[in-house]
Amino acid sequence: MDPLAAIRETFFQECDEQLAELESGLLAMEGGDQDPETINAVFRAVHSIKGGAGAFSLEALIRFAHVFETALDEMRSGRLEATSDVLKTMLRASDVLADLVSAAHAGEEGDDPRAATLADELKAMSGGEDDTSESEEDWGDDFDFQPQAVSFEAPAGPTGFVVRFKPRADLYAKANESALLLRELARLGEASVELDAHDVPPINEIDPEAAYLSWTVTLTGDMDETAIREVFEFVDGDCELSIEPIAADEAEAGGEPEFDIGSLLAKVQGDAPAATEEAPAEIEPAAAAEPEPEAAPEPAPTLAVVPKAAAPEAPADALASTGPRKTEAGATIRVDLERVDRLIDLVGELVINQAVLSQRVMEAGLARASAVAMGLDELEQLTREIQDSVMAIRAQPVKSVFQRMPRLVREVAAMTGKPVRLVTEGEGTEVDKTVIERLADPLTHMIRNAIDHGLESPEKRAAAGKPAEGVVKLAAFHRSGRIVIEVSDDGGGINRERVKGIAVEKGLIAADAALSDEEIDNLIFMPGFSTASEVSDISGRGVGMDVVRRSILALGGRINIVSKPGKGSTFTMSLPLTLAVLDGMVVSVANQTLVAPITAIVETLQPKASDVHSLGGHSRVISIRGGFVPLIDIGMALGYRRDPLPATQGVALLIEGEGGARAALLVDAIQGQRQVVIKSLEANYRQVPGVAAATILGDGRVALILDIDTIVSVSRGEMRKAG
Amino acid sequence: MSMTVLTVDDSRTMREMLRLALSDAGFRVVQAEDGLHGLEVLAAERPQVIVTDINMPRMDGFGFIEEVRGDPSHRAIPILVLTTESDAEKKNRARMAGATGWIVKPFNPDKLVDAIRRVAA
Repeated sequence: MDPLAAIRETFFQECDEQLAELESGLLAMEGGDQDPETINAVFRAVHSIKGGAGAFSLEALIRFAHVFETALDEMRSGRLEATSDVLKTMLRASDVLADLVSAAHAGEEGDDPRAATLADELKAMSGGEDDTSESEEDWGDDFDFQPQAVSFEAPAGPTGFVVRFKPRADLYAKANESALLLRELARLGEASVELDAHDVPPINEIDPEAAYLSWTVTLTGDMDETAIREVFEFVDGDCELSIEPIAADEAEAGGEPEFDIGSLLAKVQGDAPAATEEAPAEIEPAAAAEPEPEAAPEPAPTLAVVPKAAAPEAPADALASTGPRKTEAGATIRVDLERVDRLIDLVGELVINQAVLSQRVMEAGLARASAVAMGLDELEQLTREIQDSVMAIRAQPVKSVFQRMPRLVREVAAMTGKPVRLVTEGEGTEVDKTVIERLADPLTHMIRNAIDHGLESPEKRAAAGKPAEGVVKLAAFHRSGRIVIEVSDDGGGINRERVKGIAVEKGLIAADAALSDEEIDNLIFMPGFSTASEVSDISGRGVGMDVVRRSILALGGRINIVSKPGKGSTFTMSLPLTLAVLDGMVVSVANQTLVAPITAIVETLQPKASDVHSLGGHSRVISIRGGFVPLIDIGMALGYRRDPLPATQGVALLIEGEGGARAALLVDAIQGQRQVVIKSLEANYRQVPGVAAATILGDGRVALILDIDTIVSVSRGEMRKAG
Repeated sequence: MSMTVLTVDDSRTMREMLRLALSDAGFRVVQAEDGLHGLEVLAAERPQVIVTDINMPRMDGFGFIEEVRGDPSHRAIPILVLTTESDAEKKNRARMAGATGWIVKPFNPDKLVDAIRRVAA
């Protein structure tokens, strides 16, 4: 990637951070935060976005950010009161700004009518008529010049100017230097310089901070006054300056310099007070004496001559040299995700290798207390720690996905006309990056649902004696090695009669089915439960809670709901912290070792002959508490054996696939439960139906991880054919 | 030995832009994220020129310039103010604080380098 493109990416990353800062700041202010640093941070966020956008000429973004910034500046200076209405407009403006950033990132900059409307609202808030309309704003100038009247009446041909320059002490106090100004001036043409040292007092009266010298420079050549003014741009006000054009004959007369500039500049360096006392050694007379512009630039450095601290990562050095700062700013480095994944992969190998080694040592019959065995124990512990640390690199706070929700809540609240407050908890809870990314969709859907279906209308809430504003809570925390995310609302809870009615109507349950409250609540996760008639703009979009459930299961997670009539509902999701390892049930099937994901297993049971019924061919079903589920012989399904294992000789794992379909897997025996490192089969071999991935066990053997869903759906298809 | 430039800006984008422009021009670049951090880096790196933003958390550009000018061992270092503020008020405040010169963002890399050479030998 070329450096500018890389910086552009940095800019958009930074924009996302600034937008998050902006939104959380505005929300805090809405919640009554009056800390001036909050509004400052909000202002800075928009200001930085504008600044970066300027660097990349993202015009639509610049225009909107400018108007937004102006309004924020009014608020910062107390001229615009931060009322609830004003903050609501600002929040909508932050949404529009986020959209403009995304559009710019995608290269789709264009006119957004919403941006125009909001810009008008912001301008109105900033004090009616916009006096700094964007068209007048000066975006592109490299330098902020004072407008200068340029004389068009200067005679043609080489002429010149007489520049009289008398610095005041302020000029030196600001670290400007007469020598450098004169050098600049000398680059404009042929210069003859006259030093006036008449003001220099006797040596015992010299004030080292004062300025005593002045110069008269006669410049000849083709130049204009603007260029001369430009040289003195930074010292305007800190010196007496007069610039007068000279007549052509004068110019020629001025051709005889009284001093040559080189020796003059050398003198100047000895003179300029204050400014020179610190840095005389840095002014190279050779460079100063040479008025040719080409001669002045520093020699281009190569890495070899640059001292250690100047290596490309100098800020890291700078940070390292400033201890206390590090903890405060949360020093970070950016690393390619690929490198991290490679590291995770290698650590996976290390874990496997270590397990193999341990097993070999055991087999060799070494005593537990032997030095080798004890060393191995230590190695095992270290390996675990490395694994945990490496996994932690991929872990990120759920904040990044939680942050997207306030906007969603605002939008859905506006569409449904229900006032809603979003409360978040545990934003700092960390989980694997991929899990976070794949959480966004289900969470979005659940929050929409919570507002649309969970919360009652303000009228109903009033009737129930609840505050008009509904509360949706999003919480994250760690529990027993997993992350738990809860989405709850203080609405009316699940209408069980209605849910049951729909389920019966859809043929999902029998009309006379006796279900517990919990079972009824969980009916909403069944495929096909969500009905077309209740698909609304908001939570509909053709997907129901079954899709949410499926995506959570695909992440190795579980989801359930607890609802209290009149009080609200809580959806609880429990997810693994990483996708690189899996909690597996290790089983034997026809002398093979296989792994079934624990999350899919509902229970294990010993089949009784009386519970198993044949459907003809090799198809069998097993009766579990009055219901029938297919009994699948894994050995047959994967082609390890031709004749089915008698059901009573094996163990059945009752499993539930992502779609909610249940089946019993018949295996020979259960070896145990363990965490396994997932190895992609597709990447190392090819896709195999019924097998999701592979792992390497402690004894060095490869074990396949079962793809429960494929096995269940294939077997059900076969059963339909057989039945 | 190339000239060392200290850039002080809270925006990562700006810091990277400055680093690119300045290191391309042969300067050695050291960076800080705000005024307070800038003072720490200043003490450690002894740059010949400082380029600083104005709007920053913890310590803004004005405060930073005042601190530098108030310290006898750093007061002679030229400071260029780099900011999107093109209005006279901000510029004047920066000058009052002791800024040597200023550059308005978005900056042109050549002009930035020119400005640095104008204030530093």
